[in-house]
This record gives sequence, structure tokens and C-alpha cells, in this order.
Amino acid sequence: MKVLAIMKRELQSFFFSPIAYIVFAAFMTIVGYLFWIVLATSKMATLEPMLYNAAFILLLASPVLTMRLISEEKKSRTIELLLTSPISPAEIILGKFLACFVLYAVLIALTLQYPLIMWYYAPNLDWGPIISGYIGLLLLGGAFISVGVFASTLTENQIIAAMISFGSLVLFWIFGWAKHAFENAFGQMISNLSVFDRYSEFLRGILDSGNVVFFAVFTLTWLFLATRALESDRWR
Amino acid sequence: MIEMQNITKYYDNFRALNNFNLKVEKGEILGLLGPNGAGKTTAMRILTCFLPASSGKASVAGFDIFEDSVEVRRRLGYLPETPPLYPEMSVNSYLNFVGEIRELPKSVRKQRIGYVCERIGLDAYKGRVINTLSKGYRQRVGLAQALLHNPEVLILDEPTVGLDPNQIIEIRNLVKDLAQDHTIILSTHILPEVSMTCGRVVIINEGEIAAVDSVQNLEKNATGRPAWKIVLKAPDNFDWQTIVNKAPDAQINDLIQGDASEFKLRLNRSEDFDDLFKVLTKENCVFREITPIKATLEDVFLKITLGEERKENA
Repeated sequence: MKVLAIMKRELQSFFFSPIAYIVFAAFMTIVGYLFWIVLATSKMATLEPMLYNAAFILLLASPVLTMRLISEEKKSRTIELLLTSPISPAEIILGKFLACFVLYAVLIALTLQYPLIMWYYAPNLDWGPIISGYIGLLLLGGAFISVGVFASTLTENQIIAAMISFGSLVLFWIFGWAKHAFENAFGQMISNLSVFDRYSEFLRGILDSGNVVFFAVFTLTWLFLATRALESDRWR
Repeated sequence: MIEMQNITKYYDNFRALNNFNLKVEKGEILGLLGPNGAGKTTAMRILTCFLPASSGKASVAGFDIFEDSVEVRRRLGYLPETPPLYPEMSVNSYLNFVGEIRELPKSVRKQRIGYVCERIGLDAYKGRVINTLSKGYRQRVGLAQALLHNPEVLILDEPTVGLDPNQIIEIRNLVKDLAQDHTIILSTHILPEVSMTCGRVVIINEGEIAAVDSVQNLEKNATGRPAWKIVLKAPDNFDWQTIVNKAPDAQINDLIQGDASEFKLRLNRSEDFDDLFKVLTKENCVFREITPIKATLEDVFLKITLGEERKENA
């Protein structure tokens, strides 16, 4: 499986560079702090505030994880090896995406200690919103990473790739504000694109199939665009 | 094995290749020779399906590079100008990765990695991280990568650049060796390399083919009329006009080597040299050196790329 080969190699190189470790350390520190401070203030056995803020930290962190995916291959010219092998751009993009997604899933899995800690002290913990929240977090991660993969195909400069994905993600985060600005169909249309609005429904324990489909389509669209961008390199 | 027909490539408005035609037979080593920026790398990138041509047709092993790009890529090994290496990987895991994307089954992969490393002299370096290898060994890993899947066609972009003289000789011998089971195109701007390894040379200049021929023929054509360099000690009363009478275009540099004179001359026929030799010995001249001047590939190259005789040789 060529996709798996790409994914495996990518995961290896994630852990050879310090980036993955630093992102992990920073994220875990912040989430640990959030868990403690939220619990200390609200004194409520709910993970909603922590998961909500964790998503925002991930929005900041994921461009750092995705920026090198294709950019680095271009810069070090290893892209010539990939594109002259019998492997399609779609397989390359998918392999890269999966590698980053696995990393992201591990990162998320590390935060499962907090619901467990909470459960220890509050045995009647409401697991529904927590499970749907984690599902939302995974779907959100797919969306974040797909935008990052796309941004990384556009340039051989990692900083530019990170900035493009960061900018786009923030925009998709705050699209939801449009419905307050224009209280009409137009405002509603824009805010429908907001990943944040949809994610917060998961946090409230709502597993809406529309939202799941939205995230799936969102992710696939960016991956498709990334494949196209990688192919188009040859035509320039 | 390889065929390019009227390939033209534009980068925006810059024409990198113009009406490029090329045919390479199975088992041949073809050298692409040209100054930097002549279009060597572009031609190779088109053949390896890394870049599309703006117009024209090309095929490798009977497969069209546009229609059957995957089939072409399966049959090609390519060493780009910068070896495509992942610095953080060990040689072994890198080659294993290449084997995976080259569709080699696990058992074959292991055996091929062993074989290729032995052949290229990487055996002792399999466990080393690529980052810690010297330039010469990185180049070898690049070559190992291109050979791994035993491709029918090998395309090597300046395979000896940046290597020390010993390594250059090793790689050259390796390339010659490989020609037994592979068809090879290599590019270089090092002239002796072409004379030593390649059967046929394509000289590219400004995106056009300036000459295609065997190394011997190119040299023979460039030499033209027979020429000699002569160093002799002439008696004091020697009349230099004697030489000029025989060879009107002789350049005489008087007394440049202590008490001897050096001159170069070009004659219409080889037999004219015999006459001149007889006259000079009769005049009591002492010969210190007589060297026939042969054009090297370097002369051919310079002549062609500087624009002289371009039309005649093309």
C-alpha cells in the first residue's frame, strides 16, 4: 500500500523533528491548565469549556503540524522522487493527511485523562456530551488538517504555508458571526460555513448527521483541492 | 527504447526546449552535453513525467509519457540533480520506503536493497542516517534509489557532480557496468566524462540539439585539416620563410622555450608534413617536440556552443 508507505514515512519524520514534541508539550500544558482553572471556577463536572478551548488551541497548533507536509518535499526536491514514482498525487495527499491525522488523534487521546479524572470524582458524570465532543474534535481535526495540507501544496516556504492555513482556519471559525451581522438568509448562509458553530453543537451533546456530513465534505473538498494543486505544479 | 519527437517546452515565455528529437536504443549510454541552462534537466524532467512538454510526443519502452505516465514511471529510474533524500532517515529505511512506493513486494525489496547496496558500495553504510553521510555517499544513495526497482531505463542528471576524483571514476565505471542491463541517459557538463562513458553524445545549446554523433566522429569532424605543434632549435642563420613557404598559415612564436622556437601549423595533406620535415632536417634544425593536434570534445563543444559552425554540424 503506497498510501501507507507515505503515511509511515511521514509519521517517522514527525518524530525525528522537534516540532511534534513541542506541539504536544505546549498543547498538554495548556489543556492541563484549562482543565484545572475551569474546574476551580465553575465547580461543575462538565468538560464543555475545556473541549471548546482545546479546539481553539488546536486551531493554532495544526498549521504548525501541517505546514511542512508538502512544502518541505518541494524545498528539498524530494517531491521529484514522489512524482516520478508510480504513485498518484491523490495517494501522496491522502498519505500525508492520514499521517497528520494519526498524530492529531494521539494528541486528542492524551486528553482523555481529564474525563477519567472527573469520572473518578463524579461517578454520575454525563458521558453523552463528552463522547460527542470528542467525535466533534476528531472531525474538526480532519477539517483543520485538510486546509493545512492544501496550504502546504501551494508553496515551498513553510512559514507561508502555516500563515495561509492559519488565516483560512480563523476565517472559517468566525464565519458564524455573520448571522448576527445580517439577520437574513445571506448571513445564515455564511454562518453555515462556520466550523465553530457546528463544533459547539457536538459539545452540547448533539450528534447531527448534517454536521458530520459537513465536516466530511469540508475535509474531502480541501484534500481534493490539494491534489489538484499538487498536480498543477507540473503544469506551471 | 526512448523516443522524443518535436518536444518543445516553454516556461512562461522562455523557451527551454525547441523541437527536440531524440532516439535512444536499448543498452545504449547517451550523454546529454551542454552548458548550464541549455535544457538538459528540462529534457530529463519531461522524460520522467515530472514536467509536461508544451508540445510534442515522447515515449519510453513503448509507453507514451502522457497517456501511460504510470507505466513509464514504473520503468524509469531517475537520479535528479539534487539527490531526493530524506536527511533524517537511515539508508536502509530510505531505500525500503523507495521500494514501497516503487511497488516492490516485501521479499523482493529486501533482496534488491542488499544487491544494490553491495553493487554501489553502500553495504557498510546501510544503518547510517543520511544526514551524516558525505556528499559522495549521498550521491550513491541517490543512485541506489534509482536502481532499486531494476528499471529498464536510467536517467541520471549530472551523476558525478560534487564528487572527488576517485569517486568520479568509481561512478563512471559503475555507469558503464550498468549499461549491460539498462538503457542510460546521463547529462553532464564535464567533457571527459562523456568521452569515457557514453557511446553517443547529444550536444544541446539553448534548448536545441546542436549535434548528435559518436564521440569519435565528433572529434574527427572538428579536427579538420591535419595539424601539428612543433618545437625546434634552428641554426642561427635559419630562414623562417622556409617554413612559411611550405605551410602558409604557420604561426611561429620565436624562441619561446629557451633556445628553441615553437610553432603550430596546419597542412592540407598529411604528405606535406613529410616534405617539411625533410627540408627542416636538411637545414640542421633539431626537433624537440612534434605533436599532432587532435581536436578534443572540448573543442567541438566550444565551437558548437559559441555559435560557430552550428549550422554545419546540426
